[in-house]
Amino acid sequence: MTPPPSSPSSIPPPIPVDTHPNRAPGSKAPEQDRIPDPDRLAPEDAYFATSLSRARSAPANYEDSLRSINDGSRVATLRAPRGMLGADPSRKDVTKLGAAGGRRRRKGAWKKLLWVKQTYPDNYTDTETFLDHLQRNPRVRPYDFWPLVADSTVIVQHVCSVVIFVCCFVGIVQDRVSPVSIVCWGSVGTAMGWILWDNWIWREQAELAQGAQVAIGGDDGSSLSSMASVANPSGNEPQPNGTKGSPIHGLGLTMSGNESKEQLSQRTAEFNGSLDEIGDPALPVGAPSTASSIALGSTDAQDNERRSLLTSRNRQRLSTVKSAFLIYFSLLGLSPILKSLTKSTASDSIWAMSCWLLIMNIFSFDYGSGEGAGATTKFPASLSTNAAVMASTVLASRLPSTTHVFSLMLFSMEVFGLFPIFRRQLRQKSWTGHVVLTLVLVIIAGGAVGTTLGGGWASAIIGSMLGSILTAFSMGGCSWWLISLQKYKNVVIGPWDPARPIIRRHWN
Amino acid sequence: MPYNIAMVSDFFFPQSGGIESHIYQLSSKLIDRGHKVIIITHAYKGRTGVRYLTNGLKIYHVPFFVIYRETTFPTVFSFFPIFRNIVIREQIEIVHGHASLSSFCGEAILHARTMGLRTVFTDHSLFGFADAASILTNKLLKFTLSDVDHAICVSHTCKENTVLRASLDPLMVSVIPNAVVAENFRPLSYTPSPFDQIPTSPLRTHGYPGHPLGTDLLIAAIPRILALNPNTRFIIAGSGPKAIDLEQMLERNVLQDKVEMLGSVRHEEVRDVMVRGHIYLHPSLTEAFGTVIVEAASCGLYVVCTRVGGIPEVLPQHMTTFAKPEEDDLVVATSKAIAALRSNKVRTDRFHDQVKMMYSWRDVAERTERVYQGITGEISSEEFYGYYPGQGWEASGDRVRSFALIDRLKRYYGCGVWAGKLFCLCVVIDFLIYVFLEMWFPRANIDIARSWPKKQPAEKSRPPTSARSIR
Repeated sequence: MTPPPSSPSSIPPPIPVDTHPNRAPGSKAPEQDRIPDPDRLAPEDAYFATSLSRARSAPANYEDSLRSINDGSRVATLRAPRGMLGADPSRKDVTKLGAAGGRRRRKGAWKKLLWVKQTYPDNYTDTETFLDHLQRNPRVRPYDFWPLVADSTVIVQHVCSVVIFVCCFVGIVQDRVSPVSIVCWGSVGTAMGWILWDNWIWREQAELAQGAQVAIGGDDGSSLSSMASVANPSGNEPQPNGTKGSPIHGLGLTMSGNESKEQLSQRTAEFNGSLDEIGDPALPVGAPSTASSIALGSTDAQDNERRSLLTSRNRQRLSTVKSAFLIYFSLLGLSPILKSLTKSTASDSIWAMSCWLLIMNIFSFDYGSGEGAGATTKFPASLSTNAAVMASTVLASRLPSTTHVFSLMLFSMEVFGLFPIFRRQLRQKSWTGHVVLTLVLVIIAGGAVGTTLGGGWASAIIGSMLGSILTAFSMGGCSWWLISLQKYKNVVIGPWDPARPIIRRHWN
Repeated sequence: MPYNIAMVSDFFFPQSGGIESHIYQLSSKLIDRGHKVIIITHAYKGRTGVRYLTNGLKIYHVPFFVIYRETTFPTVFSFFPIFRNIVIREQIEIVHGHASLSSFCGEAILHARTMGLRTVFTDHSLFGFADAASILTNKLLKFTLSDVDHAICVSHTCKENTVLRASLDPLMVSVIPNAVVAENFRPLSYTPSPFDQIPTSPLRTHGYPGHPLGTDLLIAAIPRILALNPNTRFIIAGSGPKAIDLEQMLERNVLQDKVEMLGSVRHEEVRDVMVRGHIYLHPSLTEAFGTVIVEAASCGLYVVCTRVGGIPEVLPQHMTTFAKPEEDDLVVATSKAIAALRSNKVRTDRFHDQVKMMYSWRDVAERTERVYQGITGEISSEEFYGYYPGQGWEASGDRVRSFALIDRLKRYYGCGVWAGKLFCLCVVIDFLIYVFLEMWFPRANIDIARSWPKKQPAEKSRPPTSARSIR
C-alpha cells in the first residue's frame, strides 16, 4: 500500500519526473479519462488479435535505430509523445466531458515508473502507455512473385542434378547405358566447366590488378593509406572465390577424402596465387618505398604484374591437373574395395538408405549464394556433400564390376562435388547462363526420367516436356503459396526482447 | 483476514538468485503480517524433507526428478498426490507460483484450481516471441495462466510481456516490483579516493539458459573507457562462460592492473564488493527488473545501465545514466557518468535513504496482500478491478474465475486449435485424478499440521486496504 496521496513522495526528486522513461520529460497532461482513440493500441488489443489490424504510423524516438524502416504502414510503433497531445487544446474539452464523475479525477497522471509511489492500484492499466512500444512485423520484406521464382531455380537445379544422377545409376544397373560413356560425358562436361571457371577467375584477377594499377598510377603513391585501401580489395577479393568452394572443402570424411583433397589443393592453389599476387613486388602492401617506385614506373609494373599473374595461374592449373590425376588414380585403386563394401547388406536396405541420404543431401544443401556470413554457419554444408557421396558409395556397391564402380564414383564426385561450385559461380557471373543451365538441366532430367520409365526417344521427349511443365508449375505454385502464407506473419517486437548489442571490433 | 498461502517454485534456497530471495523475503514479510506461509520446492542435494527457516517459514522439499538447472521434469500429473496432501495438511487457501520456467509452479496452479483453491502467479522474466524455445515456453505459460486468478509482474514491461504471452486481461495482472533489503546494502562512509572505480557484474552464475548478458559489450567497452579515463579501475564480479573472453581481452590490452576480476561472489558479499566502487556498470541485454541496480544504488553507487527491458522504470534519473546497448554509447555514457561524479554533480551519499524509501519488502508484501484480498473476494471485484466507463473493455471476460469444470474447460479450449484440446484433456484427467484421490485417500485420513505459533501481527493499526484504495 502506498502512503496516502497527500504526502505523495518523501523522496525529493531533483529532476522533473517524466511520465514515461522513454519519453520527453516535462509535458504531461492529466488525461487518463480520455475516450479511446481508435488509432491507438488499447489494452484489449493484447488479447483480441483481430483488433490489431489497424494501421498506424507515428514518429519514433530511439526505436528508429532498431527499425530498418520499410513500409511504415505495417508498423505499429510508438505513439506520438504525450506532449503533443497535451498541447492540443481541444483535448481539454474531451477530458472534461469524460470526467463527469468528479471522483474519478485523480491526483496525478499515472507514470510508467516503479520507484514512484502512485495512487493507482497495482493492476491499473494505462490505455495511453500500455504496449506503446509494441511493434508488429517491423522488418518484414514482402516477397515479389518473379524474384521468388527466379530464386527457386537454384533448388530446381540441384534437384535436377540429383535426378539425373539417379537415372544414370538406374541406367547403369539395368545395363542400358555404358558407365564409361556416362563418365566420359561427365568428365568432358567437368573439363569444360573447369576451363570456363578458370577463365572467369583469371579475368577477374586481371581486372582487379589492373584496377589497382590504375589507382596507384593516378594516386602518385603520395598517400599510403589510400593505396593500401586500393590494394586491399585486390588482396581480399579472390578470397570469396576461394570460400565459394569452402562448403565443399569441408567434405573430408572417409570416402570423400580424395575429392576434398582435390578441392582443397585447388583452393589453396588459387589462394596461393592471390597471395603471390599480394606478395609480389608489383603490388606493394605497406611498403612506401616500393610504392613510390611503382608509381614512377607504372607501365613496367603492369607488365610485371601480368607476367606474374600468368605464371601463378599456370602453376595453379598445373596443381589442379595434378590433384585431378591423384583423385583419379586413388579412386581407381579404391574401386575394388568399394565394390565389395556392402556385399553382406540386402539390396532393399541399400535402396532405402540411398534414398534417405539423397533426400538429406537435397534438404541440407547450401542453396545460398555464399555471400552472407550466416549462409554457411547454419548447416554444415559438408553434411550435404557427405550424404551424397555416401549414397553413391552404397549404390556403387550394387554394381557388377570395378569399372562400373569407378565410373559411378567419379560421376558422383563430378555431380555432387564440382558441379555445385560451377553452378554458383555461373549464377554470379551471368544470369542468362544460369537460366539456360536450369532449362537444360530440367529438360535432361525430365528426359532421363522418361527414358528410365519408358525407354526410347518418344518417352524421353514426353518426359522432358512433362517435366518442364511440371517444374514450371511447381515453381510458380510454391512461390505463390509462400507469398500467400505471408499474411499469417506476425512478428511481435517490444522492449522485452533481448537487445542486440552493436559492437565494433577494433582490435585484431 | 490471515490467509494460508503456499508459495510454489522450483527455485529456492540453497540455490541463490533473484527469484529465490524474492520468495523468501515476500514470505517472511507476509508471515510478519499475520499470514501463514509455506514454500513447496523440489529436493535439493543435501536439502530434503520438511525444513523450517526463520520466523516459522516452512519449506517442503518434494523429491522430484531434476532435468536441467534445478528445473524439474514436467510430468503434469505426478506432482498431484503429494501436492494435495501438503495442501490439505496445511489448510492452504491460496497457491502462489513463481517463475514461468518452473514446471512445479505450473503444475501446482493446475492442481490447485482443480482442488478449488485461488491461485496467483508471479512472473520474473521476459521472453521474446521469435525462437522455438520461446514459443514452447509461451504455450506452457498460456496453459498455466489460462485459469489463474491473478498474475503479478515485477515491472510494467514485464506486465506487457506477460499479457501478450498468455493472452491475459491486463486488469488481471498487477505490477509489484522487487525490493531490496536496504539494511544489507549500506554505503561505506565516504572516503576520498584518487581513482574512480567501476564495479560491474555482467557474468552471473545463475541465469536462464541462453539468458543474454552484455559481456560482449563490456569486453568491447572496457579498453575504450580506460583509454578515455586513465584514472579508472574496474572490478568485475561474477563468473560465466564468457569470463574467458574477458580475460583474453585483458591480456591482449595489458589491463590486468586496471581491471580486477573477482570470480563469482556470494550474494551476502555483493555489498562489500559494491562499496569499493563509485559507479556501477550494468550492460545487460534484457532484464525484467534488475534488482542488482537497485542494490547498487542503495550502496551509494551511481548507475550506468543499458536501456533495455524494465530497467528504465526502476530508478529515478538522477541515479542513473542510460546507454543504448551499443559499444559507442556505453563508452560515452560511462565517461559522462565519470565526469558527473568528478564534478560532484551527483549526490550519491543520499542514494541509500532514497532507495530505502522507494523499495521495501514490507511494501511488496502489502501490495501482494491486496491481490490476495482481491481474488478471495474480500475486496469486491469492482473495487479491485475497477471500472472504466466509456473505455469499453470492462465487460470482457470473467475476472472472478469460477471453479466449475465446464468454465475452466472453456478457458483452456481457447488456447489454440490443437493446444486447446490437449489442455482440456489434461484438465479433465487432472480432475479425474482428483476424484480418484478423494476416494482412495480421503481428506479425513490426512492429519492437519500444527501451525507455527504466531507472533502478534506487527501493525494492526493500519488496515491494509486504506492506503491503496483510491476512491
